[in-house]
Amino acid sequence: MPIQYYIFLAAILFSIGVIGVLIRRNAIIVFMCIELMLNAVNLLMVAFSKMHYAAALTDDAKTAVGTDAQLFVFFIMVVAAAEVSVGLAIIVMMYRNVHSVDINFLNRLKN
Amino acid sequence: MEPTEILFWIISGIAIFSALMVLLSKNPVYSVLWLIVVFFCITNHYILLNAQFLAIVNMIVYAGAIMVLFLFVIMLMNLNTISEPRRTLWVRLAGVVSGGLLLTVIISTVRSAVDMNDKKALMSTGDIGLIQNLGKVLFTSYAIPFEISSILFLSAMVGAVVIGKKE
Amino acid sequence: MNSIIVSAACGILMMFGSVWIGNKNYFRFIAATGLLLTWVANWADMNGNGLFQIPASGMFVYTHISYFFNAILIAATLIYVIISGDEVTKQGAYPAEYFSLIFFVMSGVSILMFYNNMLMLFLGIEIMSIPLYILTGADKRNLKSNEASLKYFLMGAFSTGIMLMGIALIYGGTGSFAIDIKRAGSAVPGFYNGTSFLEITGLLFLFASMCFKVSAAPFHFWTPDVYDGAPSVFTSFMATIVKAAGFYAFFRLVEVRMAQTATSVDWKLIISFIIIATLFFGNITAVFQQSVKRMLSYSSIAQAGFMLFSLFAMNDLARQGLMLYAVAYSLSTIGIFAIMTKMKDYSFDGYNGLAKTHPALAATNTIFLLSLAGIPLTAGFLAKYYMLASVIRTGTYTWLVVAAVVFAAISVYYYFRLIQAMYFKNGEPVVAAISPIFKYLLISIAIIIIAIGAFPQLFFNLFYFG
Repeated sequence: MPIQYYIFLAAILFSIGVIGVLIRRNAIIVFMCIELMLNAVNLLMVAFSKMHYAAALTDDAKTAVGTDAQLFVFFIMVVAAAEVSVGLAIIVMMYRNVHSVDINFLNRLKN
Repeated sequence: MEPTEILFWIISGIAIFSALMVLLSKNPVYSVLWLIVVFFCITNHYILLNAQFLAIVNMIVYAGAIMVLFLFVIMLMNLNTISEPRRTLWVRLAGVVSGGLLLTVIISTVRSAVDMNDKKALMSTGDIGLIQNLGKVLFTSYAIPFEISSILFLSAMVGAVVIGKKE
Repeated sequence: MNSIIVSAACGILMMFGSVWIGNKNYFRFIAATGLLLTWVANWADMNGNGLFQIPASGMFVYTHISYFFNAILIAATLIYVIISGDEVTKQGAYPAEYFSLIFFVMSGVSILMFYNNMLMLFLGIEIMSIPLYILTGADKRNLKSNEASLKYFLMGAFSTGIMLMGIALIYGGTGSFAIDIKRAGSAVPGFYNGTSFLEITGLLFLFASMCFKVSAAPFHFWTPDVYDGAPSVFTSFMATIVKAAGFYAFFRLVEVRMAQTATSVDWKLIISFIIIATLFFGNITAVFQQSVKRMLSYSSIAQAGFMLFSLFAMNDLARQGLMLYAVAYSLSTIGIFAIMTKMKDYSFDGYNGLAKTHPALAATNTIFLLSLAGIPLTAGFLAKYYMLASVIRTGTYTWLVVAAVVFAAISVYYYFRLIQAMYFKNGEPVVAAISPIFKYLLISIAIIIIAIGAFPQLFFNLFYFG
C-alpha cells in the first residue's frame, strides 16, 4: 500500500480528534477525542515503521529497522493508560463538586 | 486489487465514519461505543501491517481497559443527552475550520514530499512486529525507557489515589 | 542518570512515608534530605564517581552543562522545600504524597536534562506533567483549583498529541528518533534544501508543542488560569523549576535538532516573532492585574520571553545567560511566593503598609522584585544583560534588543507598584505567624541574589571549575 494513503488516513483521524477537542464542551468527550488523536499517531508510526523496514529489506534480509517505531507506539500506549487514570480522577473530582462535566463550568457560575 | 487492499479501504472507511460519529453523537455512551469501533478498525490495520504484538496490546489496553474505564465514569455520572452542554454555532464553525486547516497542512506536506512518492508500507509480511523481535530490542537497547516508564506509572498511581480518595 | 534513580527512590520512600511516619512535620525534613542526596549523587556523577554506571545506549548524553543545570534545579528545589515545606504540609490530607510527587517531577526534570532521543523527551515531559496535574488540583474543595487542574490536564494532553504527531512525521522523514542524526548530507531533488518536507512539518509541530509547555505566546493562554487556580505553594514550584527545566529541554532541541535544518527553515525568524509576542502579551496584560498572584503569572510569561532569547542566539553567552536566568528567576519567584503564601489577601491592597509591620519581609520582597525587574546589582539584571548581549553578538535582529529594553521598562511599572504598596501606602496587612527561621531563610536568598549580581564570576567559576 502506498504510504500516502496511510498518512492521509492518520491525518484525517487526527484532525477529527482536533475538531472534537475544539467543538465539544463535555470534558469526557474532549478527552476521548485526545485519545483518538493519539491513536491516529500510533497508526502513522506503525505504517512508517513498515515503510522504513521495506526500504531496508532490499539490502539486508535480517534487518531490524522499524522496530524502534513500534516500541515507541508501545510507550505511547503506556503513557496514555497512565494519563487516563489521572484524567478521569480529575474529572470525577470536578463532578463531585459541581455536578457537571462542562469544561466552561466556572464561566457559567460567574454569569 | 488484492484482498489486503480491499480490506484496507473497507476498514479505513469504517474508521473515518465511526470517528465522525464520536463527535456527532449527542449521547456520551454512544460516543464511547463508536470510539471502540475506531480502535477496533485500527487494530485491524495493525494486523494488516503484520504488527501482531501491537494489535493485541491495542485491543487489550485501549478497547479493553481504557474505554471500559470511560464507560464506568460516564455511567457513574449518569450523563445523558439532556445534560449535554453545547457550544454556540460560531465556535463550532471555527473549530471545524481550524481542524480542516490542520488537515490541509498535513496533506499538502505529503503531496510536496516527493521522497514519499514511491515508498510503500509492507503489508501482511515482515516479522519486525512479532513479539520475539520486539522483546529482544525492548529489553536490550530500550531497557532504560522501559524502567523509567515505571516511574510514570507510580506517579499516576499516587496521583489517582490523592485525587480520588474522599477526605 | 544517578539523579533520576535517586530521586525516584526518594519518591517511593515518601510514598510509604505516610504509613510509616505518624508526625506530619517530619516529612519536609525527609524530603530535604532526599533532595540533598539527589544533589550529591548528581555532583558525584558529574565528577565521574557515579554510584551506578548504566549504559545509555543512545538514550542519554551526559555533558557538563547538563549536569550543572541539573544541579542548579535540584538546589532550587531544595531551597523551595526548605522555605515552603511547611506550606506543602498544610495543603491537604496527603503531605507525604505531595512530596513524593515532587520527587517524581524531579526525576522527570533530570531526564529532560540528559535526553538524547525523542522517546526520552516525550517520557520526560510526561513524567514531569502528570504529577503537576495532581498538584494543581490538590485543593480539592476549591472550584478554581479544580478548574485549573482540568484545564491544565486537557491542554497538556492535547499538546502531547500535537508533539507526537510531530515526532511521527519526523520519523517518517528521517527514519530515526535520535536528536543528533547523522545525515547523508547531499541535497536530494524534491527535498527542500536537503530536508524532507515531512521532517520540516514535524519539527514545526514539535516546536509548537514545546512553546506550549514553556508557555510562550501564542500558546500561553492556559498559564494565567492554571497558575492562578493552583495552590500558591505549588504554583511557585511550577512557575520556576519546572519551567526552567522545560526551557533547557527546548534549548537542547533547538540547539541539536532544529539546527540541522537551519538551511531549510529560518528558525531565528520564527523565534523572534514568538519572543515579541510573548513579551507583548506577558507585559501588557500584567499591567492591568489587580491580584499579585495573577500579576506574577503574567510576569512569568514575560520572563519566558526573555529566556527565549537564549534559543534565538545559541552561543556561549546564551548558555551562560540561560543558567543565570534560571537561578535568578527561580530564586526570586520562590521568595515572592513564599511571602505571598503567608499573606491573607493576594491583591495589591493586601500588601499595603507591610513595611511598617514586617520590615524584613518587605525588604526581602523588594529585593526579589528588583531582581525580576532587572535592576542593576541583582542577579536578574545580569541575567537580562547576558541574554541581550548574546543577541548583539549574533549581529542580526538588533531591533529585538530595543524591543526587549522597552518591555523591561514596562515591567518595572507593575513590579514597582507592589513595592509602592508595601512602603508608601497605609494599611493593616493580615500576615500569618512568621517564624524567625523563615525570616533568616528569606534574607539568605536575598543575599545569594545580590552576591550573584555583584560577583558573577563566583557563579561561573563554579560552572567551569566545579
